[in-house]
Amino acid sequence: MSSGTSCELLVVGGGPAGLAAAVQAASLGLDVTLVDERPTLGGQIFKQPGLQVRDHAALGRDHRRGRTLIQAAERSGVRLLTRTSCVSLQGTNAVIVEEGGHARAVSASHVIVAPGAHDRPVVFPGWTLPGVVTAGAAQTIVKTHRVTPGERVLFAGSGPLALAFPAQLHHYGVNIVAALEAGPPPRPRDIARIAGAARGNAALFRDAVGYRVGLVRGGVNLRYRRIVVRAEGRDRLEAVVHAACDAEWRVIAGTEERVEVDTLCVGYGFFPSTELMRLAGCSFRYDEDLGGHVVRVDEWMRTTVPGISAAGDGAGVAGSFVAIDEGRLAAIGLVGDERSAGPIRRRLKRKLRFQHALQRMHRIGPGIYELATPETVICRCEEVTLAELAQPIKASDDINVVKGFTRVTMGLCQGRNCQRQIGALLAAQHGCALGDLLVATPRSPVRPVPLAAVADETIDDLGLFVAK
Amino acid sequence: MTWGSLLRSNPVLSAARTCGPLPAETDVVVIGGGLAGTAVAYYLAREGVDVVLIERSELNREASGTNAGSFHFQIAMHQLTARETESARPRLLSDVRLHLSAARLWQTLEEELDGALDLHETGGLMVAETPEELQILHDKHLIETEAGLETHVLEGSELQGFAPYLAGDLLGASFCPAEGHANPFLAAPLFALRAADRGAVVRTRIDVIRIEPGFVITTSAGTLRAHRVVNAAGAWANDIAATSGLRLPIRAEGLHVNVTEPRAKVLEPLVQHIGRRLTLKQAANGTFIIGGGWPARPEQPPARFTTLWESAAGNAAVAIRVMPSLADVRLVRMWTGVMAFTDDLQPVVGEMGSLPGYFTCIATTGFTLSPMIARMLAAHIARGESLPHEYAPDRKGLEWTATT
Repeated sequence: MSSGTSCELLVVGGGPAGLAAAVQAASLGLDVTLVDERPTLGGQIFKQPGLQVRDHAALGRDHRRGRTLIQAAERSGVRLLTRTSCVSLQGTNAVIVEEGGHARAVSASHVIVAPGAHDRPVVFPGWTLPGVVTAGAAQTIVKTHRVTPGERVLFAGSGPLALAFPAQLHHYGVNIVAALEAGPPPRPRDIARIAGAARGNAALFRDAVGYRVGLVRGGVNLRYRRIVVRAEGRDRLEAVVHAACDAEWRVIAGTEERVEVDTLCVGYGFFPSTELMRLAGCSFRYDEDLGGHVVRVDEWMRTTVPGISAAGDGAGVAGSFVAIDEGRLAAIGLVGDERSAGPIRRRLKRKLRFQHALQRMHRIGPGIYELATPETVICRCEEVTLAELAQPIKASDDINVVKGFTRVTMGLCQGRNCQRQIGALLAAQHGCALGDLLVATPRSPVRPVPLAAVADETIDDLGLFVAK
Repeated sequence: MTWGSLLRSNPVLSAARTCGPLPAETDVVVIGGGLAGTAVAYYLAREGVDVVLIERSELNREASGTNAGSFHFQIAMHQLTARETESARPRLLSDVRLHLSAARLWQTLEEELDGALDLHETGGLMVAETPEELQILHDKHLIETEAGLETHVLEGSELQGFAPYLAGDLLGASFCPAEGHANPFLAAPLFALRAADRGAVVRTRIDVIRIEPGFVITTSAGTLRAHRVVNAAGAWANDIAATSGLRLPIRAEGLHVNVTEPRAKVLEPLVQHIGRRLTLKQAANGTFIIGGGWPARPEQPPARFTTLWESAAGNAAVAIRVMPSLADVRLVRMWTGVMAFTDDLQPVVGEMGSLPGYFTCIATTGFTLSPMIARMLAAHIARGESLPHEYAPDRKGLEWTATT
């Protein structure tokens, strides 16, 4: 570790929330450093193409919103560090690593954590086959690299945001064979409720309805109440079996259909990326509508750890409009400007109400956790199957005990892929709620770092463990 | 069989067998569900003694399940009081003898417990960078030989031929063929299961609130009477002792461990350093596990210790110095386990002189030594076999440091 630096505010994440927070804080006169692990700013939703773009208008509204925000950040005097990961956070002391560089300590007065969300992994037979991709990955392939993920693409997922993906892929010319939505078709009273909550949320409403309209207008075969059952193929995906499901998302026997595709795009929603907040010791609550385990924040987006605030999808998945306002609020909170906060809080309340109304229509059914068969790999890093988990999950409802017996959550992804699925198994085994269960103890670094980038020859023996 | 499949194939003591009511009385109550406690419970049950084990959380969750699983038999850096061996010769001799008997016991445990422990006799290397360190290797080799432990000192090209993955400019290393490792996730759970199979009552998630002479053990799940008590609470043994007005020469420390991504298997033996803090080995699944005595940051209870990036950085530097090809291997996790330390690093096994019937069973090099000292204590309690007085919990010459 080379010698440390310090700043007034460290923002982790260069998506909507992080950019908005950094710009706002810089305008308040703070010395701000922003890190993002990707080569370009904008996060997932505002992800900018890797190529030279001539016609920005053709890339759509999200692209334009993102470009505006990024340009504001570039003009704001914020120190913008891309390809740089924050791999550890203890209090407001962070460790950052630039790609190919050496780990550096950053001592900040405040940290705003805005790491965004990641796709909800769904475990079903064949989910690890090449050709099975998450919605976010498909989006990256299309948006950044401008290539199609496959020739024949099946989309399976749920939720208003999830439907944005096939709509977007379709827009870019990807052949979507069908889009399966596990939830029901919107009923009049759902629409009425959403419309009721839509007052002042025109943009959000347009998104929620627009994607559906776009799919239907584009001739995509959109089928409700159907769920993926398994992916088949020898070395890569060849076909997908899907079936009708009930209100609990449980497969209705006898309704299976098999469709030959080379790509399955899975989009059942998102989880907040919580590793850094957990590592720092922030307190959490459980809210299924916001992605499950979400960090506790106060009216200024401050977590329970002094100096650390959280904003955006990382503090509960609610989309980019909410993220931007949360980022601003977190920044304003550093100076406690009540007057500017009022309107933002009112707007946020309205947007979150809309979000909840939408989510209620698309609440995850327990059937999503029941697709694995005994041979299905649950933890893909450590290659642990459902059958191998049968004994250990009986030993205790504490996932850390299961981890000890099986090494689940101990691999490269640190449980981002398997942890919720194992939680669901434990909840079923021991008759408790998912939200009541412990999560696996987080470990630093939250991203893998080469030992040479960690090593520091100048650190003396720290003197312990000496016989007297 | 892979490490993972071994883990998963071992029988497990189910929650259904650890959550029943607490009996009203027993002969011996054991406090602590780590390796020492589960092993004492097993050996007592095997002797036909009526025993109840109480664990406040889950079995094997603390030092017993969070250490690296290495067997430390040859003399290591932390046992030296100075950068030489002569001043501590008698103690070092007795240490090595104890290690040797622990080594022999471990060899029999898979058969004894009828289960997999993922035991590997890989041998262990202790490297030296400087002429002074190389001299220590030669000196300690003499003590080890006298105690009956086989070690060899390898130098220069001999070492490079034997361990080509080590840095070419290391001056030498001592090799102890008996060293190796077992799986820390398997040992205590298997002892607990076999203890329960032999009639021991194992109870988890019960807090011991107070132990009064007699003995009356007040817990969060009711009161239990016992003739004898074994305090096997490891790093928290002093908290338990304090409820009876006792103090033990034990303190808690957090030790740092780094774990890398898996790589192709190149490193067979355990690697240590006689002059710098390093233990390094490659697990069966290919990950490198790197530690060796780097500290962690103590936190306010009930939090334990958190990792220090400085420890990761210093530890990684020593590891790369000794094995340069580690430079591009990625660190994926660091963790810290809480360990019980005594100031003279000797086990604390025996009966409290001031409170007859109250025993302790704690060791600093706990993974290596716990089954051994547990068996010694059980034989003492059940059949009156004598225990080494140098391990007595109230022995003279110890500094009585505060714990938590």
